[in-house]
Amino acid sequence: MDTRVRSKLDGTRRAVRLLRWYPIAWREQYGDEFVDHLEQEFVDRPVDLGRTVNVVYKGFAARIADVGLSNGDGLAKGRTRAAVGTSFVLTALMAMLALNFWSVAMGLWGGRRYHPAPDTVVTGVLSVAIGFLLVILIAMVVTVAVCVLRQIMRGRARPLVVPSLFALGAGGLLLYDVRWLPRMLVQYAHGTEPLRPNPTLSQPLRVIDELARITWMLTQRWVTPWSQNASNTPAVQTVVNYLVPLAVLILGISIALLVRRIELPHFGERLGRATVALQGALAASFFVAYALWFVVGGPSGDTPFWMGPQAGGAYLAILALFAVLIGRLGILARRVRA
Amino acid sequence: MTSSENPLAGLGRNAGAAVLVLSSLAGGDKHGYALVKDVEGFSGVHLPPGTLYQVLARLVSRGLIVALEADSRRRPYRLTAQGATVLADYITAQQRILKTGQARLKRSWTLA
Repeated sequence: MDTRVRSKLDGTRRAVRLLRWYPIAWREQYGDEFVDHLEQEFVDRPVDLGRTVNVVYKGFAARIADVGLSNGDGLAKGRTRAAVGTSFVLTALMAMLALNFWSVAMGLWGGRRYHPAPDTVVTGVLSVAIGFLLVILIAMVVTVAVCVLRQIMRGRARPLVVPSLFALGAGGLLLYDVRWLPRMLVQYAHGTEPLRPNPTLSQPLRVIDELARITWMLTQRWVTPWSQNASNTPAVQTVVNYLVPLAVLILGISIALLVRRIELPHFGERLGRATVALQGALAASFFVAYALWFVVGGPSGDTPFWMGPQAGGAYLAILALFAVLIGRLGILARRVRA
Repeated sequence: MTSSENPLAGLGRNAGAAVLVLSSLAGGDKHGYALVKDVEGFSGVHLPPGTLYQVLARLVSRGLIVALEADSRRRPYRLTAQGATVLADYITAQQRILKTGQARLKRSWTLA
């Protein structure tokens, strides 16, 4: 093969490799001209580390923008859907931790004889924030499921098949993991639980306490699977518990992909921006309220970090990171007009 | 002028590169590589490919330039009327700063 032809082929291969740092939407819009540009640069300067670093860095920045976490790359098309999808993933992951933190806070709050007003206010904010976040997550899953079904019935199911299958698999595992929850709720409601007779609505503190206890039992297995007593837990259940965070991540990514691919009505984009902004506000409120509750004296000498201060601190930092990222998505979503 | 009124202000660290690209396109339509060579020729600045395409994307999204029909794999870009106005405003502002700086240097310092 001619040396010039071989060198050109080599340049094309290098350019295509560098192009992979960019997200698909960017590659579709600029891919051909970018590869052509790089090929010409390779002729001028075959080796340039600064150029490689520049492409990798800008490609990464384009990927961050592609998931809605920055508004820098100029590809406004689909930005709202990207923000909605990413906020769903982040909120779903945050909800696992947030529910667990909420159950600890409410358990401590409900176990007290006296309830100072500041403590009640912040735990109230925690409850409202996590409650609305869960409602939004469920509403998003239902909306996406309805849109997917409608699109399938119209015969345009092809782009939805793979993410739908992943969503079904991950959702199935999550449902399997919480299969005992309805039975336990019924038991508590009807007083069939031997040790804890039924709390009634006339005893709101008991109801909250029980709800917090059930939530803690449910979520502590997800967020600290390594701390379980393996001898009391069946092997299958242990594996399922270990897989729950992964299933939440897969479900989140699948829903995010479906959000990008489903056909939405005209008001969908506007509703999506409002949803992301609301999620951002709720996530930020939850974190601020939890930090306040912690600082103001919510634990009352007890530790809210059942897994030890170091791991607890790490979880709190992760919660803060999620809250900041979702809050940022909310702010950026409000700015998008395209 | 606020950042919403001045599209260049919203480009942050890329504002300098954006001015170079707009100035190059003010001389006629160019594709990416021709832009880099032209900018290098009149300013001595080499725009790396990642930066160039980030700036092009942002200028397109702000309506300051438009992407024309691609000729094989090379897509030329063209300055829009809005882009020309923004560039002209920027140059006028810079000239004012330049004149002020030069006048003050002349008065206070015995340079040049």
